[in-house]
Amino acid sequence: MKKTSTIILRDKKYEVKAGSTLRVALRRLEILPESVICVREGELITEDNIIKEGETIKLVSVISGG
Amino acid sequence: MKCKKCGGKAVINMRQHNMGLCKDDFLQWLPEQMLKHIEKQKMFTPDEKILVAVSGGKDSLALWDMLQILGYQADGLYIALGIDEGISYSSESQRLTEEFAKARDLNLHVVNMTSDYGIDLPTLAKETKRGRDKPCSSCGLVKRHEMNRIARDFGYDVLATGHNLDDEAATLFSNTLQWNGDYLIRQHPVLAERDGLARKVKPLFRFYEREMAAYTLLRGIEYIYDECPFAEGSTSTQYKELLNQLEHEHPGAKIHFFTKFLSAKKKGLFAEPTTEIVPELHICPSCGQPTSALELCTFCRMMEKSK
Repeated sequence: MKKTSTIILRDKKYEVKAGSTLRVALRRLEILPESVICVREGELITEDNIIKEGETIKLVSVISGG
Repeated sequence: MKCKKCGGKAVINMRQHNMGLCKDDFLQWLPEQMLKHIEKQKMFTPDEKILVAVSGGKDSLALWDMLQILGYQADGLYIALGIDEGISYSSESQRLTEEFAKARDLNLHVVNMTSDYGIDLPTLAKETKRGRDKPCSSCGLVKRHEMNRIARDFGYDVLATGHNLDDEAATLFSNTLQWNGDYLIRQHPVLAERDGLARKVKPLFRFYEREMAAYTLLRGIEYIYDECPFAEGSTSTQYKELLNQLEHEHPGAKIHFFTKFLSAKKKGLFAEPTTEIVPELHICPSCGQPTSALELCTFCRMMEKSK
């Protein structure tokens, strides 16, 4: 069975493969690491962290317009 | 990734500095760096009174927070523009700003367009040529006018805004694409006081937007996450995205773009302002603020038209 996890950015949810780094997952989703902060269970994490099976990682968009 | 200072677990990777930091070291490093640049650029001294323009967003609240940590005398100014657009944008950002100030026992000035001038910004903009399609230009004009008015009326020495490096790089990119010479000459983290115009400073000019978001999250500061509904799809957002693509391929591209521009200016790459570029200022007969117009200033002309 495929091992997956969830990444949330604003109101969008993405299913990603567990076991790879966040950096790889962001590249596959075409999200620039420069434009987001990654949050796991309320803690900020860097993109070299490995995505664990079944977990949810929230991305906080950092770009504000105006 | 490990923290460069203590070897603990890093919470942020700043590729432009080739440095990751843990929570404690990052929260110590950022205000220290800001202090270094405040002093290097001679923005203000601990004896001076600072007015911080606060929008309820991450940058201005983080700026106010760091100024308090560093022991500066900083009061806030919130301008309620009356932007609703179905998400109560202004009222929510005002609530967050007031809660931030109350929790820290800080002094906050509030200007309310509707109660103070009898008209909200979206309505005002629709009635003017300047803001018929989008109110952003009128918004900038109103904010500049009111920030200067409050700074002057209450005797503040300096006005501080939360512009970060991404804001500055996007503005520089825009002005360069259009070869806006007069804007390029004026763009600087410190604008000296002049003829009734308060000194303006941007203490966050060296920090990426991402660092400011990390700071507010790590400090537990609640800020308005939604961007202004009128800013969605704006040119400045597009430029920020473009610059982030460049940054991704070449870490440090954004900071080099802006800081090397400042160095080039210092070395005389750009001509000094002439009297044609920096027009003589007069006093507006209605509000008493400086203006390049011979009669009413642009703000008062806009308010007159809306009556």
